[in-house]
Amino acid sequence: MSAVAAKPAAGGAINPTAMAVGVVMFLILLGICYIVYPVGLMPLILIVIGGVLIGFGVHFVPVGGAPAAMGQAPGIATGVAMLAAGGGLAGLFGGAWAAAAGQDPLVVVITGGIGGGLMMAITCMMVNFVYVFGMGIPAASGKVAKDPITGDSQAEFKSQGTEGHGLPFVSFVGGVIGGLFAGAGGTLIYLELLNVYTAALPTVMQITAKQVLPIAVSAAGMFAVGMFLVNAVLTAYNITGTIEGPHDPKFKRWPRSVVASAVASALCGLVAILIVAL
Amino acid sequence: MTVKVEVIEGGIPHNKIMIAGIVSTLVCLYLTYLNVLTSTEMFSFFGGFAVIAALIWGSHTIKVLCSYGIGTGVPSAGMIAFGSGVIAMLLATKFGIMAPIVAAVLAAVIGFILGYVSNNILNMKIPAMVQSLTEMAVVGSLSLMGFAALMTGGFTFDGLTTGHVTMMGLSLLTHQQSFIGGCLIAVAFLLGAIAIQHPFNACLGPGWKQDRMLMLTAECGFLSMIVAAVMSFALISIGAALISLIIALIGWVYTYNEYLVLSKRDAAAWLDAKPIPDVEGH
Repeated sequence: MSAVAAKPAAGGAINPTAMAVGVVMFLILLGICYIVYPVGLMPLILIVIGGVLIGFGVHFVPVGGAPAAMGQAPGIATGVAMLAAGGGLAGLFGGAWAAAAGQDPLVVVITGGIGGGLMMAITCMMVNFVYVFGMGIPAASGKVAKDPITGDSQAEFKSQGTEGHGLPFVSFVGGVIGGLFAGAGGTLIYLELLNVYTAALPTVMQITAKQVLPIAVSAAGMFAVGMFLVNAVLTAYNITGTIEGPHDPKFKRWPRSVVASAVASALCGLVAILIVAL
Repeated sequence: MTVKVEVIEGGIPHNKIMIAGIVSTLVCLYLTYLNVLTSTEMFSFFGGFAVIAALIWGSHTIKVLCSYGIGTGVPSAGMIAFGSGVIAMLLATKFGIMAPIVAAVLAAVIGFILGYVSNNILNMKIPAMVQSLTEMAVVGSLSLMGFAALMTGGFTFDGLTTGHVTMMGLSLLTHQQSFIGGCLIAVAFLLGAIAIQHPFNACLGPGWKQDRMLMLTAECGFLSMIVAAVMSFALISIGAALISLIIALIGWVYTYNEYLVLSKRDAAAWLDAKPIPDVEGH
């Protein structure tokens, strides 16, 4: 964002025509995959589910941005893309480790979710540590009068002229839930691509399954990271800057993000699957 | 409609930078094909030049996009550029000698759709959004291809997935020691993603000057090229890797000094402080 802070005017409105175009585009991309490489349709659908999980999950994460760094807004003091990358990639590593150990796909995805959730829990706790003991400010939300989970009132802890500060309990919980979703989504993408590549690359490249494994792991991981970042940044565009967590009014914008993530994941997933089809 | 907060005053117009960027990137990428024609690896360093040309174009695109105050931070633009670019680049490597052109076209399609998604479905309504995301996807894919050419001497799928290990005088074929199999692509990804977003992030503000930002981009590009050249020792012959490394070092020292000169030109005042002050009486 530029130094002269301009408030984006995107707002929460939904553009019905664009949403319809998005759904049609999504179906066309699935259709292309079915025609070109029918075996890839099921993985592509699961990749889209993973992408949507990322897009939806990021809405839970309390993103504070630059105002939070100055203690003038609640949340973690960095941008959406950085936080999503931190939580999601930690989940991806956890999930990839479980996949390498030959676990059941469900276990792998859940491990990925726990990895992401754990990363966000540690981040949220350390952020509150710095806020409370380093900057000397209490945690208070500016968007709600009472914390929706604990019921603690917020107004008397909020400094004048700020939108709240620190990381209230509901934001903490939101961060962990967001990490769970994002980590699970990223792992699902990785796992599906890995299955597609380990199955198809040996015939495409004319080498043995053992030789293909490093290429499959690396390519699937790289595609997963790429798609993860695309989904995270699109969600960041949807949130336009900062969000406090699930209690923030901006949270209601999630339907737009789900459609956008579905289109983006279908597009990127199709290109990723085409590498073995062409 | 958001308010445009910064205007470009003077300097080279964006379209000129864009055209120069794409032409010089593609030319540099194809110059690495001299490796195949002369069956050496001496021309790999042109990959690094392709990276720098693409980065200079990309950082100016980020300037155009982020002037609108998109509210998500400048680094996110670098991340989406390389996130969408890596997907296009990996598929494009399958097309042999056509790879750079296919990468550019495919990335443009992906970027255009992502631009439509963010501008219309997500309701961003930023005039430069579609064009910027299209350009940035192309920049991301071409710079990754440049890194690939710099590190391996080629940009085809076979070249990026196959490597050679010399064991007891025998040259063995391996897939683990390669650009994709060894996941050097992940390092290339972040080297590029950081180099593309840093210059505008560092130079933005009322005192923004085009030449200073672009010089910083070139400096970041050469810095990335040093790291990539060091990694290329594992994949290409020592002589070729040394050429890349020496060129990268010379380029970095030159651009770094130039950037310092430009920074001093734009600064109100400066003090040449010593890093560690001499304490008297010791």
